[in-house]
Amino acid sequence: MTKRQESMKGSVDSLLLYLVSQQPMYGYQIIKELGRRSQGYFKFKEGTLYPALHRLERAGLVRGEWQRLPGGQQRKYYHITEAGYHAMAEQRNQWRDFVAAMNLVIQPAYH
Amino acid sequence: MVTAVSHYLESVKDNLSLDLSSETEVIRELESHIEDRLHELEESGVSEEEAANTCIRLLGPAKQLARQIYEAHSQGTWGQALLAAMPHLLFGLLFALNWWQNVGWFLAMLVLVFSVAIYGWRHGKPFWLSPWLGDCLMPVVISGLFLLCLPRGWSWLAIAVYVPLALWLVGSITFQTIKRDWLYSSLMLLPMPVAIGWFLAAQLEGKFPRYSTGLIQEYAPWIGLSFLVLAVAAAVFIRLRQRWLKIAVLVMSGLLTSTLVCGYGWYRLGLPAFLTLAIIMLALFLTPALLKRRIRRGEHQPVARLLP
Repeated sequence: MTKRQESMKGSVDSLLLYLVSQQPMYGYQIIKELGRRSQGYFKFKEGTLYPALHRLERAGLVRGEWQRLPGGQQRKYYHITEAGYHAMAEQRNQWRDFVAAMNLVIQPAYH
Repeated sequence: MVTAVSHYLESVKDNLSLDLSSETEVIRELESHIEDRLHELEESGVSEEEAANTCIRLLGPAKQLARQIYEAHSQGTWGQALLAAMPHLLFGLLFALNWWQNVGWFLAMLVLVFSVAIYGWRHGKPFWLSPWLGDCLMPVVISGLFLLCLPRGWSWLAIAVYVPLALWLVGSITFQTIKRDWLYSSLMLLPMPVAIGWFLAAQLEGKFPRYSTGLIQEYAPWIGLSFLVLAVAAAVFIRLRQRWLKIAVLVMSGLLTSTLVCGYGWYRLGLPAFLTLAIIMLALFLTPALLKRRIRRGEHQPVARLLP
């Protein structure tokens, strides 16, 4: 596992919740969007996406819904739920606290 | 190309062990993912075969993907775990508190177990249903054994009418639960050898039925403890995600209850009795797995309906 994948491992749920909170998305779209927004930094291992989405769905944080695209193909769109919004807010606060604390520690010391 | 992808999807489906509607939905979702990826790769000039191989490589090994999706679906809530443990707990209390001789309590218990099992059966066969079904089938099996112990005329009637009917009932319910996942059938059948073991222990000691009733009273705390073990096993089984851990819980609880039956009920018969019960346990545990394999072979259909 690369260092990027290692650091991403604990943040998968937060990233997925945040992306589907912006707009309902289907699996493949999530992978593309994540790559685009992170400017290629986050490269999702495709096989791990669906187990993660299904886990969030079973936990009631997202809701899957089949929709027909203009071309006639069907895709399963994931929508964030009320519980998902709460979980995302909590995870975002934790992440901000973590980043703030990290910055305090690693910033250059002034003597 | 299509063959490689359809083989991949079939392999995922074979290893999912979910209920039919969930399996269909998972495969449909993976199909749509592959469809998008193939389209993108082919547009960028990659050959059809290479695109298919890249898709499969990006998704990872079929067995690993199926296992991860299974684990995302397999864990029940604490409420479901408690509900799954409930019938065994109630039967355990019935014996531990010596209420089993009170017809009112016994009937109330049976009515409750049958009602909940029928409710669960009609409402999508949820996670917690298997132990309730198992405890419903237990009186059916024990009644057959009772009939076989009656004077000669009655036992023939039991062999001719009751036993085939009971076997058909147990078989058809097992068959229905196997369709979802054979592990749930094994969970359902788990109390059967325990109940048969205690029943036979009471029969082996003396004349039926007076002496047997006294013996059941003597064994009651241990019977209660056996059901408590089954209750804990059912709850843990529902909460676990990993399939191999679920199997381990079933095997451990089977061995523990066999030890209790042989240690306190069949102790005069010793090791041969323990081995017999362990073999019955193993047979009941493995039968659903073997049946599932046969069903799979029978209903094997190509899953991919991808690009032409």
